[in-house]
Amino acid sequence: MQNDIFNIKKHHIQAAEETYKELSRKIGKRKFIIAIAGEVSSGKSTLAYLLGRILKMNGISTKILDLSDFYKIPPLERRAYREKHGIDSVGVEEYDWDKIESIINSFKKGQIVKLPSVDLLTDKVDELITNFKEVQVLIISGLYASYCKNIDYKIFMELTYRETYEAQKYTGKEVMDSFRQKILEQEHEAVQKQKNDADCYIDFNTFLNSYHL
Amino acid sequence: MLEDVLLIANKHREAAAVIVEEILKNKKDKFIVAISGESGSGKSELTHVVAKEMRKHGIFAKPIHIDNFYNTLPLKRTEWRISNGIENVVGLSEYKWDEINRLIGDFKNGRKSSMPCVDLVTEQVDTLTTDFQNIEMLIIDGLYAINTEGVDLAVYIELTYRETKKAQKDRGKEPQNEYRMRVLEQEHQQVLSIKHKADLFVNMDYKVVPAE
Repeated sequence: MQNDIFNIKKHHIQAAEETYKELSRKIGKRKFIIAIAGEVSSGKSTLAYLLGRILKMNGISTKILDLSDFYKIPPLERRAYREKHGIDSVGVEEYDWDKIESIINSFKKGQIVKLPSVDLLTDKVDELITNFKEVQVLIISGLYASYCKNIDYKIFMELTYRETYEAQKYTGKEVMDSFRQKILEQEHEAVQKQKNDADCYIDFNTFLNSYHL
Repeated sequence: MLEDVLLIANKHREAAAVIVEEILKNKKDKFIVAISGESGSGKSELTHVVAKEMRKHGIFAKPIHIDNFYNTLPLKRTEWRISNGIENVVGLSEYKWDEINRLIGDFKNGRKSSMPCVDLVTEQVDTLTTDFQNIEMLIIDGLYAINTEGVDLAVYIELTYRETKKAQKDRGKEPQNEYRMRVLEQEHQQVLSIKHKADLFVNMDYKVVPAE
């Protein structure tokens, strides 16, 4: 993902620090994969970024993978595709899971890979070549990140889609209308199914600095 | 540049609006804007907002960050600069200008192009391949961006590192130490040598004014 804007707040930093404390006991010297799943605009990529930075400061090389780069239908065609195929086309099946799995495998083996990389300013899918040789931790963030195989630690981030409406208006990522709202409801339902599976649950709603590990 | 943090404020939006107006006035195919300014002056923020505004006018603009084109790798740069002497090596010659100019050529011809792309979390240099077909505009962002050949609109932000020190600290992207200060001072001296290439200035109050 290129040209994403993070809106870093104190509670994100606190959550990242708490999560790191928990993780530092688990990671060790092996290749380790963290998934950050959760609601739209709940702060997944912000947490991924902050966690990545803390890991780096502690000498653990970390690469962030954003699952929004792995949609089968590119950004500029997605809306039309969804409208044509109906609301049931929205969800987990929209992602290229085979490609995601092959990249996770390449990470495990420390190989050089080609990744898709969406530029949010041009909405085009570029290609990124990266070398996993020196990378010890992979952070995968995305709505359905827990569905990836071989995850060592699963984080789930809470947010209701109504608040998302506000959050999205703010970041201006997508045009909001009734179809978009339906999409969010559909995604919300599928996202919530991952909740019980999480090792760490972050909820900024209940009250500002609350998270349960 | 991957995993960069931007802090977009109203002053960036206001300055961007004026710059966009200027772009639209002089608009031609395959337009190149360059935004120069010292560390912390808001180049990347301005670049982002300008690109976003252009989309509203139906124009796809791709930002290119010059810091992806350093000769030295991020993890080796500090050591390299110190061993060669900051005052001797920090400057225009630290960048791969031939690669930047090749990229400009690919853009002008609407070709596919590969370029270095620094990931600020891994501090590794990835390779990014993008297709310039249907990309109508390039916004080059970086300290010496307006030094690039073939720029149609050169913008220079006059805020120096001295004014932005506090913002830098808040952002926490780079450590604030004696080495960093010497680099910033040297960069400040170096960038003055290309200031005359600017068409527009963003002044100390972040107002956009034309060059005399």
